[in-house]
Amino acid sequence: MHTGHYISGAGHLGLIAFLLFGGVFRPDPEPFEMQEVSVLSAAEFDALVAASQSAEPPSEAVQSETPPAPAETPEPEIQQPELIEPEAPEPDPVPEQPAPTPPPVPEVSEAAPELPEPPAEVAVIAPEVAPVAVPRPVDRVAPEAVAQPDPEARPDVVEQEAATPDAPAEKVVDEAQEATAPEEATTEIVTEAAEAPKAAPNQSARPPARRPTPPAPQVAEAVETPDPTPKPDPKPTPKPDPKPAEPKVDTDAVAAALAEALGGEDKPAKPAPAAPTGPPLSSGEKESLRLAVSACWNVGSLSSEALRTTVVVSVQMNQDGTPQTNTITLTGSSGGSQAAAGQAFEAARRAIIRCGSRGYQLPVDKFGQWQNIEMTFNPERMRIK
Amino acid sequence: MILRVVSICLALICAVAGTAQAQQGPLRIEITEGVIEPLPFAVPSFQPESGDAGQMAVDLARVVSEDLVGSGLFREIPASAFISTVSDFNAPVQYADWKAINAQALITGAVSVSGNTLNVKFRLYDVFSGAELGSGLQFSGTVDGWRRMAHKVSDAVYSRITGEGGYFDSRVVYVSETGPKDNRQKRLAVMDYDGANVRYLTDSASIVLAPRFSPTGDRILYTSYESGFPRIYVLDIGSVQRRVLESADGTMSFAPRFSPSGNTVIYSLTQGGNTDIYTMDIGSGQSVRLTNTPAIETAPSYSPDGSRIVFESDRSGSQQLYVMSASGGEAQRISFGEGRYGTPVWSPRGDLVAFTKQNKGRFHIGVMRLDGSEERLLTASFLDEGPTWAPNGRVIMFARETQGTGGSSSLYSVDISGRNLKPVRTQEGGSDPSWSPLQN
Repeated sequence: MHTGHYISGAGHLGLIAFLLFGGVFRPDPEPFEMQEVSVLSAAEFDALVAASQSAEPPSEAVQSETPPAPAETPEPEIQQPELIEPEAPEPDPVPEQPAPTPPPVPEVSEAAPELPEPPAEVAVIAPEVAPVAVPRPVDRVAPEAVAQPDPEARPDVVEQEAATPDAPAEKVVDEAQEATAPEEATTEIVTEAAEAPKAAPNQSARPPARRPTPPAPQVAEAVETPDPTPKPDPKPTPKPDPKPAEPKVDTDAVAAALAEALGGEDKPAKPAPAAPTGPPLSSGEKESLRLAVSACWNVGSLSSEALRTTVVVSVQMNQDGTPQTNTITLTGSSGGSQAAAGQAFEAARRAIIRCGSRGYQLPVDKFGQWQNIEMTFNPERMRIK
Repeated sequence: MILRVVSICLALICAVAGTAQAQQGPLRIEITEGVIEPLPFAVPSFQPESGDAGQMAVDLARVVSEDLVGSGLFREIPASAFISTVSDFNAPVQYADWKAINAQALITGAVSVSGNTLNVKFRLYDVFSGAELGSGLQFSGTVDGWRRMAHKVSDAVYSRITGEGGYFDSRVVYVSETGPKDNRQKRLAVMDYDGANVRYLTDSASIVLAPRFSPTGDRILYTSYESGFPRIYVLDIGSVQRRVLESADGTMSFAPRFSPSGNTVIYSLTQGGNTDIYTMDIGSGQSVRLTNTPAIETAPSYSPDGSRIVFESDRSGSQQLYVMSASGGEAQRISFGEGRYGTPVWSPRGDLVAFTKQNKGRFHIGVMRLDGSEERLLTASFLDEGPTWAPNGRVIMFARETQGTGGSSSLYSVDISGRNLKPVRTQEGGSDPSWSPLQN
């Protein structure tokens, strides 16, 4: 069983031992090879040369030494040339001859390539100086000078104004009254403030665009809610009856289906009337309702504190899309005092009633979904900034 | 594996059940965008309930309408658009007729005159709610004070609709200016907030500056050069009696303002070339030095609770605003924008400071919070200066001077939102306005 462990342990021990004591097996560094060199004087050298001409055996030793000699030539070369010249073909004298010759010069020319010192030329230095001469500052001065003409331009404006009086005087009277307002506005950087009221009419124009659509349902609903409004036109009372009946059938069917789905027999009867029925409102339909109420939600007369108050308002709707005004209640508020919540609620209630007076554009077949609506009026974006 | 399947199924069931739950209950929508526009209202002529109250009834309704429209928060529907009229103050309101012309508020009133006594009563209706907004009120006063009663009706209407106090039954003291710039005659004047009932308090024999109302509205502090150098005076509006606040010889005292209690005056005093802020007990005349720096420190203004002051100082090298305890101590700088800030005034609500700002050759009236945040410039012109708050902290009045040798100074007002900038009607030029509290 433990054979493997033993083997492994042995192997590791061996490895550790090798690492610790492996130096023992490290080969000794090879000793430096030392060669003794004897320095010969000129006289001795001459004697040796003379001997080499007669006897060869010693020549080997001499030859073996000669090669290093040229390596050391630098110092002895100066001395040897004088001695060697008369003797002839010794290679040593050769290098001396080239010294006076011009050919080596061209070799020196190779050193010239070092001239690529051009970096020193760094003609780039010149450009650094050049930019200083750029006359850019002149451009900067120019615009300042342009500013001066402004006062001179005034006379022109005056002349133009003198011409305007020629326009129809009566019409100008009306414009003069309006001119007072623009002056106030123009003096203000607070143009944002001026933009807000401009945006208002754009939104107030929305409701009428949606109102025309719910004609038929209104008649039907007017029948159902005769008490609140003195509008009950005795027109097509019979027609409305069948229409509302249809959605009722649907709600019952859905309620029954829900009852079956839940598997309870007692529950379905109770939740059916309270729970919203019919298909849910699409996001577009919800958005349409939201925009319709927004168009009438006027916060221009609210106090600063009321503008910090979010109110939740619940309302029950008639099938014709009109709100039941007596059901509009404040169900919650946050961010302000009770008084501020009351002011915010009043503005919200006015919005619901005003834009709902002709009925919100809501699908009748989904009445069960919007019969009860809870609206949260959050004025965070409408605060003074 | 089985457990995972079961748990996933349970999660799906819960999700479906949650969705079903969410679909139950009312339809919920959130409205975050509305419109900002004046609220349309209708003011039929008030009903005269006595024979000689006919013209008074018409005038009262006109002043009420002017007040509301002048605030910028309301828009009057002209009488020519009325479908029905109000012939009896106690008759039921035909809401449908007023809805048809989009009148969101309806104000009805009745006037009766008995000798020198004038009685005014009014009702406010929320047309689209089909109900009365608050209960009816009645005011009684002298015939001469009919404008004040109209202002009181306006204040009540304004307060019921906006939820904040009104400012119509108030007055403004200012420096009335006549003549060319090089020879301008200045005198103190007091008027209704809308420029009516002007009354002069001093003559033009000497230069007067910076009048300030007391918290009770019965006294005025101002600076006069009557003695050749600036001194602070206290003037009783009713008797027009005045007295100088004592200060040492060789000193100049100016920029006075009452404390909220009305018993203390805070002001600037220049002595030996150095200007610092002092307080003085009006009764005893004892003064206390609040600042002691080589800088020029002036234009102090109390917080509504009297615990702190805001003032201007150039201790940092440029004119800036500082807040400090009313008893002195270390001041905290609150203005850090470009340009120079001056003449700070604490809002009656306590949440904002109005100031004059000079930057890039233009003057602005602006507001900022006490920590210097949310700075908002409301105006811009050649020279705007000297803001003063309306009693409700919603409107600011200031002086605007036009450019050139023929330029003149006049009073303007603006909503703190920057809207509704308009001139205040005065018989002559005006500067240094100071708004009084609401009158009793």
